[in-house]
Amino acid sequence: MRKISLMVAGVAGAAVFGQLSAAAPERWWAPGEGRVFPASLDYANEHGTLRVLVDGGPMATKGHPFFEPLGANGRACVTCHQPSDAMSLSAASAARRWTETQGKDPLFAAIDGANCPSLPQDKRESHSLLIERGLFRIQLPWPVKQWNGKPVTPDFTIEVMRDPNGCNSGPNYGPGAGNISVYRRARPVANMKYLLAVGFPFDPKQGFALPRDPDDGSMMSGNIMGDNRAGNLRIQMEDAAHGHLQFAKGLNAKQIARIRDFEMRVYTAQQVSKQAGALDSMGAEGGPMKLKNSQPGALGSIGIPVWSEFAKWEKISPDDAKTLTPEQLAFRQSVARGARVFRDKMFLITDTAGINSRIGFGNPVRNSCVFCHNMSQMGNDVAPGQVDLGTTTMPFADPWRDLPLFRVTCLKAPHPHYGRVIYTMDPGFAMTTGRCADVGKITLQSMRGLAARAPYFSNGLAKDLRGIVDYYDRRYNIGYTEQEKQDLTNMMSAL
Amino acid sequence: MLRFFLTAAALVAPFSAAAAETVRFIACPIYRDADSGKKSGCWLSDDPATGTRYDVSLSPHKPDWNYAVMVEGTVSAVPSTPCGGTVLDAVRTSRLYDTPCTRHMLPAEGFPGRRFVLPKRNITPSSVARPVPPGPYAERVFPVYFEFDNDFLVYQYSDYLIEQASNWINAAHPKKLIVTGFAATQPEVISGRAMAEPADLAAQRAETIAETLRRLMPGIPIETAADTSGSETADKDADGLPDQSRRRVEIRALF
Ligand code: HEC
Ligand code: HEC
Repeated sequence: MRKISLMVAGVAGAAVFGQLSAAAPERWWAPGEGRVFPASLDYANEHGTLRVLVDGGPMATKGHPFFEPLGANGRACVTCHQPSDAMSLSAASAARRWTETQGKDPLFAAIDGANCPSLPQDKRESHSLLIERGLFRIQLPWPVKQWNGKPVTPDFTIEVMRDPNGCNSGPNYGPGAGNISVYRRARPVANMKYLLAVGFPFDPKQGFALPRDPDDGSMMSGNIMGDNRAGNLRIQMEDAAHGHLQFAKGLNAKQIARIRDFEMRVYTAQQVSKQAGALDSMGAEGGPMKLKNSQPGALGSIGIPVWSEFAKWEKISPDDAKTLTPEQLAFRQSVARGARVFRDKMFLITDTAGINSRIGFGNPVRNSCVFCHNMSQMGNDVAPGQVDLGTTTMPFADPWRDLPLFRVTCLKAPHPHYGRVIYTMDPGFAMTTGRCADVGKITLQSMRGLAARAPYFSNGLAKDLRGIVDYYDRRYNIGYTEQEKQDLTNMMSAL
Repeated sequence: MLRFFLTAAALVAPFSAAAAETVRFIACPIYRDADSGKKSGCWLSDDPATGTRYDVSLSPHKPDWNYAVMVEGTVSAVPSTPCGGTVLDAVRTSRLYDTPCTRHMLPAEGFPGRRFVLPKRNITPSSVARPVPPGPYAERVFPVYFEFDNDFLVYQYSDYLIEQASNWINAAHPKKLIVTGFAATQPEVISGRAMAEPADLAAQRAETIAETLRRLMPGIPIETAADTSGSETADKDADGLPDQSRRRVEIRALF
């Protein structure tokens, strides 16, 4: 019955959803449903329950530009930024949506919900990247012309080595046609005050003071979008409205203000762990309420240590322990150990631009996960977080056959770690700055609500939380014990 | 312990510069995998002229094990216990990205390395209010220093110096700033190689710092200039290293 109604909605438009939503609180938020966003909303996921808070909620979404299908393709912002998925979109949700609507949901719009618009749109395999890895196509202009409002001439060339989807060659696509297409995960639109916070006035990775916001003159954090091509929320949402929603008219000032207002009010984090129970019990401080009430932008190493939310679970008293099942107790202790492993287990970080060059930490430098993921409560980078972990670039990335491969040739100085020629599936930050030294750098995400939004990394390289740990273990030859791997994984499931 | 040495070195630097032995050479770096927690590994490098192994770990910009470094430093009398090399303090290790090295890592061999301490030149978070710097507010010059052959802002060194300068400038309200870039363009033979900075680096350094100042203090009038003479200074923030003092930008506040 539900399946049929959704199909009808997909064909007939948004109006039908209004009636549907009255019946049962749907997991999937379709555009224009006009639901009321409660002040607190819970969704189950494989690790427990995610909570979404709207500060000052409940909030009516009827007519709200984040929730209304503004453009030609029937999508809203919420289509790709779903509350149940920590305001991102899991591959599992995309797959479910495909099945439920037989591919008719506007999520699968040809523009970026397909591997390429030129493919037959009714075929599942034409949307495989979205369905299997939660990836959207991002078409970026080439050559890069401007950065921070200043003209730039890229110091590298791009050639296409492999184009499995047809969106990097032919008359309309590829560097010859003035663009390249890369494939990225949707980033969570929640806890934004942390991503916009400015901890220090400098970007030590680029070697400059932070650039100023063109709208209000404040310093910009440099922590939004995989490639930081948008420095503030206004620029980001105009890009999204034009690109993802195909909204030709463009957002007006009122719509911009309302989207911004919502983005700044929504918080999310895992609230309940299946194995551990309530994440804010026995002195632990998991869940989104803490995020809403804390000051953003603090460096964990000189203040509140990152993931000290779970410090109290390091020493659970025998009396408290008696109230837990053995499984709950063990899992809580594991989460607490995982936070320690994250901060304290050292390894050699090597050949990682943004850390090992040009900034002077040295190559290698001994440090832990928290070196890069250093902001209290959030685990993103306090400084602008453009770092080349190798997730998209050879030889460190997995050799995905279904992603394009580019050959980047540096025209001036060679790249300090890759040399003159670099093979990459997504040049990342270099597509914003036009500099070959920035190839492969991807902005660190926030680390909250991970349980609700697999797969991970900008290109979905890690299919689950354990996959994240395994990637780091091989990338940096860390040599985690099995226990440490499990502890890290469990800790991340509780964020 | 370490903090004590750093502070002591900084205080005596301008006076001891002439007396203390300084070395300057080019060699491949060696990483010693010592472990006393974060950032504790050791950097060593051997002077080809003497065969002395130096501990160069205290440089504000550390080596890359794939490239040679130009080492400039003051020989210190402290024991070589942390890393197993004669300690240079102060020291600079400029990365020479045009000179590849074979990466080499030594095991700790019982050396502990150094437990990380926050360098004294570090920036406080933006959320902490800055004290208003004292006057008199009259013409004043603030130097900023660089690694050899580049214009990159050195973390926990140049950024700190600029921040100090901008705090003072914000309080002092000068009419304008003149930002002069200096480059050490006269070739000098170091370990058998003629080393000189390119002439256009002087202007580039000035422009880089001017851009950062525009971002820190929007609206303040800034002029840039270049000086390729490579003149030395005795400024204490060059840590008693004459060659460091040649690679600088001067921010001159005019009233
Ligand atoms: C078709 C799916 C899709 C739609 C629709 C969409 N987004 Fe996104 N969003 C993405 C993807 C993919 C990214 C990551 C892009 C990147 O990193 O280059 C993203 C990133 C963002 C970010 C950056 C978050 C961060 O932490 O970096 C914000 C903010 C955002 N979107 C807001 C919006 C708004 C507002 C709208 C509606 C106007 C919208 N999005 C519509 C897919 C979508
Ligand atoms: C050298 C800096 C650095 C270190 C050290 C580091 N990370 Fe990351 N981390 C990054 C970057 C950069 C990204 C974004 C990469 C991407 O999306 O492709 C990231 C992303 C992540 C994500 C986000 C995934 C998502 O899709 O939202 C998680 C989780 C994560 N790292 C966990 C860890 C863990 C666990 C460790 C320690 C084993 C660690 N990180 C160490 C730089 C680092």
